[in-house]
Amino acid sequence: MMSPAFISRWRFALVFSAITLGYCGIMARLYLLQVVRGPEIAAMAEHSRERIDVLRARRGNITDRSGNLMAATSPVIELGVDPEKMRPEDEAKLPAVAKILGMDADELSRLCQPGTITSKETGEVRKIRWRKIADAVSDSNYDKIRAAGVPAIYGNRKYVRNYPSGMAASHLIGFMNKEEAAVMGVEGQFDYYLRGQDGWRETEIDARRKEMVQFEKREIAPRDGMNVELTIDLAIQDMADRQAAKLADTYHPESVVIIVSDPKTGDILALSNWPSFDPNNYGSVPVENLRNRAITDVYEPGSTFKIVAVAGALDEHLVTPNTLVDCSASAASYRGRMVNLPGESHGPLGTIPVSSVVSLSSNKGAAQLGMKIGEENFLDYVYKFGFGKRTDAFGPGEVLGIVHPLDKWDGLTISRMPMGQAVCVTAVQMHYAMSTVASGGVLLSPRIVRRVYDAAGNTVFSFPAKARDRAVSSEAAEKLRIMLEGVASKGGTAPKAEIPGFEVAGKTGTSQKVENGHYSHTKHVATFTGFFPASDPKIAVTVVVNDGKRPDGGICYGGTVAAPAFKEIATQIIQYMAMEPPKPSGSGMIAENRTSR
Amino acid sequence: MPLHGTGEVSAQRLDGREVIARGGPVSANPSAAFRAGWDWIGPACMAILAGIGVLFIYSAQHFTGGDFWMKQLLWIAIGGTVYVAIAYTDYHFFYRYAHIIYIVSIVLLLALWSPLGIVREGSRRWLNTPFMSLQPSEPAKIAALVMVSTVLSRERLGTVRESLFALSQIGALVAVPIVLIFLQPDLGSAMVFCPMIFSLLFLSRLSRRFFIVVLGAFLCVLSIIGTDIWRYHEFLKDRGYNAHEVLGEYQKTSWVPLHDYQRNRILGMISPESVDPRGIGVSWNYRQSLSAVATGGPFGKGWTRGEQAQLGYLPRSVAHNDFIFAVTAEETGFVGTSLVVGIFLVLLINNLRLASLARDRFGLLLISGVSVILMMHVFVNAGMTIGLMPITGVPLPFVSYGGSFILSCCTLQGLVQSVYRHRRSFA
Repeated sequence: MMSPAFISRWRFALVFSAITLGYCGIMARLYLLQVVRGPEIAAMAEHSRERIDVLRARRGNITDRSGNLMAATSPVIELGVDPEKMRPEDEAKLPAVAKILGMDADELSRLCQPGTITSKETGEVRKIRWRKIADAVSDSNYDKIRAAGVPAIYGNRKYVRNYPSGMAASHLIGFMNKEEAAVMGVEGQFDYYLRGQDGWRETEIDARRKEMVQFEKREIAPRDGMNVELTIDLAIQDMADRQAAKLADTYHPESVVIIVSDPKTGDILALSNWPSFDPNNYGSVPVENLRNRAITDVYEPGSTFKIVAVAGALDEHLVTPNTLVDCSASAASYRGRMVNLPGESHGPLGTIPVSSVVSLSSNKGAAQLGMKIGEENFLDYVYKFGFGKRTDAFGPGEVLGIVHPLDKWDGLTISRMPMGQAVCVTAVQMHYAMSTVASGGVLLSPRIVRRVYDAAGNTVFSFPAKARDRAVSSEAAEKLRIMLEGVASKGGTAPKAEIPGFEVAGKTGTSQKVENGHYSHTKHVATFTGFFPASDPKIAVTVVVNDGKRPDGGICYGGTVAAPAFKEIATQIIQYMAMEPPKPSGSGMIAENRTSR
Repeated sequence: MPLHGTGEVSAQRLDGREVIARGGPVSANPSAAFRAGWDWIGPACMAILAGIGVLFIYSAQHFTGGDFWMKQLLWIAIGGTVYVAIAYTDYHFFYRYAHIIYIVSIVLLLALWSPLGIVREGSRRWLNTPFMSLQPSEPAKIAALVMVSTVLSRERLGTVRESLFALSQIGALVAVPIVLIFLQPDLGSAMVFCPMIFSLLFLSRLSRRFFIVVLGAFLCVLSIIGTDIWRYHEFLKDRGYNAHEVLGEYQKTSWVPLHDYQRNRILGMISPESVDPRGIGVSWNYRQSLSAVATGGPFGKGWTRGEQAQLGYLPRSVAHNDFIFAVTAEETGFVGTSLVVGIFLVLLINNLRLASLARDRFGLLLISGVSVILMMHVFVNAGMTIGLMPITGVPLPFVSYGGSFILSCCTLQGLVQSVYRHRRSFA
């Protein structure tokens, strides 16, 4: 390069080459970055700009049979603070915020102090950028808090599950736990329909992690969960709950189960357990309160179980309601051997017709009917009435009960099982066995859910009533119905269940609890299970009081403890449903039976 | 490139040397100036760069909306006028009034500490005048260049011992603005002074030994800073690599006069992981700028379509000025960056050609100084964008947004044109 003579040629050239070299460096670096490594870095940058947001689906509601909300999902705001964003002037505004939240101002101030957390894995110390202040703040309160002018305090929208009906049928409904997983009940069983399908949105975000709607790439809208309509009637459920609570207050039992259903469809109208829990606050009670004892707990049914033997004998045409049975014998011959008969609970009865065996609850009579049927056939009836099987209507947790197979029977079993010993049942099994009598001998499946419907109210899935088995012929069932009406009358074991005009049919049961391998003399399970009106059954009710203690120290019998509770509920249901007494003309047999007694 | 190495020109130069030998250029008489015609390569390069600048200032603000590109057009118009005015002025005018220009520039720098000075993000760099926000370091660069060129064209340099007086004079003249700018603090602008002064001294035939010593001193400083940065790295390691948290703690323990944020920038370039392991703190700009350039690939994403710039990953406050090269790189790719860098290269080589045509030593030193200033800007600015330099607030000449800077660059190139236009005007 030429240079003026007044400077050194090579110095000029040196400056020139230095500049050129600098540019070559820049070009080389650009080439490396943009051409050689460009695509690779581009892919990384692309990835860091992408954000996938989950669009949460709203969980469906659970309603009773008339559409009253029992479980609902509502959007709330989770409130928190970014302590790093607190400005000096914000401190003075905190008391106002605390007042809106109803919390201690000092506590709020403490939450707003900056702090650090140390990561357990990497040991990295980070500033705390979010501290939760309140779990669920309503929209109106949130607006007030924002108006207080503390930008560091802000909220995120989320859904919370709540149960407007509180403790009502909580064991059937179940609940959502803190991890938002469905636990037990319909929440668990119908989670597939209720939870809906979360959507997602893929967007690009800017440097401040704000979404750029104009760069939105793909969006799959969430599909809200479907609603579930139960068979429960909230009003009847409330009656059952009150009754259970009242029984608990009076007799301080270990537990109480009350089941109300429609015997023609199997619809459960109410299912009440005591002790119970509030699904809004399930953590505040002992965990055993969460148990749906109607399906998880078994007990010896006692006399209520006699309906199996009687119905079986009628179905096999071995007896008629008027067949006489010797209820004074101490033993009876069975297949060439003498079998000891159990003692009577209510004194000697002499020779009485089958109808009286039922109404007076004769142990010896039931045992002899069982022997007439024979052990194989009798066991068959036991199964046909739904014992020793799950109903499969309640999801996990339901137990089989205990029905020993024939090879486990001892010599006495044939005389004890017909009166409800040496067998264990759940309250639901007993209730549906009794309902079988009411529904003309057909064992129905319990129905809890009527239908699944979408937001517009259109039915998506319906669950019709389902028969499981024919237990006995409709004639046998009808004969038994009439006999059971005798129980809830003056001459029966449960006159306290009688509602004049409404043909209450039912059976009492009082069983001793087994303690340390022996029947306890102080602990009893008192049961009454029945239905009405006998000529056209509309409602079936079962009341089980486990280990009640009478204030006077007496035994809690089914007839004295459970039957009155049955009557109270039944009376309320009759009023609630505005039921009319059936016309006597439709039930000639009942009239006949009444005269014969 | 074609050089005007004709016999005629050489004769002129010889003549020029004679003039210098007699003790400085003869005072020029503008009216008598021989109209030597314009150099068109320089202005053409400037115009293209300014056009690219406006385009990508628009793009940088495209997403959020902004009118800086219009303001920039206005500044370019003003700058063009200044350019033409200075080109018409005989550069000897600056020779004559160098001391006044210099004093005015120092007064402007000092005015930063008056109520007129604005403190932005901890730096005192701007003067608030009714007409514009002025960056006094820009006129200070020009004034220092003119002043030093004046001294050097008057003095004859030889060995260090012989030129001790001239050197101390220059040292004092340059030290004042450098210290004032360093105090703002504006490391980037202060940095531009040194290569300018040294290249002028180099061209002025100062003893080779001097430069060897300077180079040695430079390496010493470099190694001191290097050691300091290494110690800073160890310091950060002990505190869990959280530079943001411990900002300002290390500088108390070190006698090297650097701020921790400056250490962060240097270390951020060498090892971003140790300053800011998660890439969201002090190394953000570095990483995002690098990412913008790289994602541009060979051909770019298209004008106004670079996500890094549009979505604000390149901080919006600097995308249109200090990081305009990154915006350009992202949206035009290697093709575009080659073009920009290529135009700068053409501009600077053309400047050097014009320098070789200068009538006298003053003209030659002026053009060389201008070239070195511009080259430093390009190198530091593009360098920080592509990770070759620490991040400093040095803009890209003609392209970056900024009134003071456009005016300053136009003035500098105006001097070049003036030297060229008046190469044949003899008194």
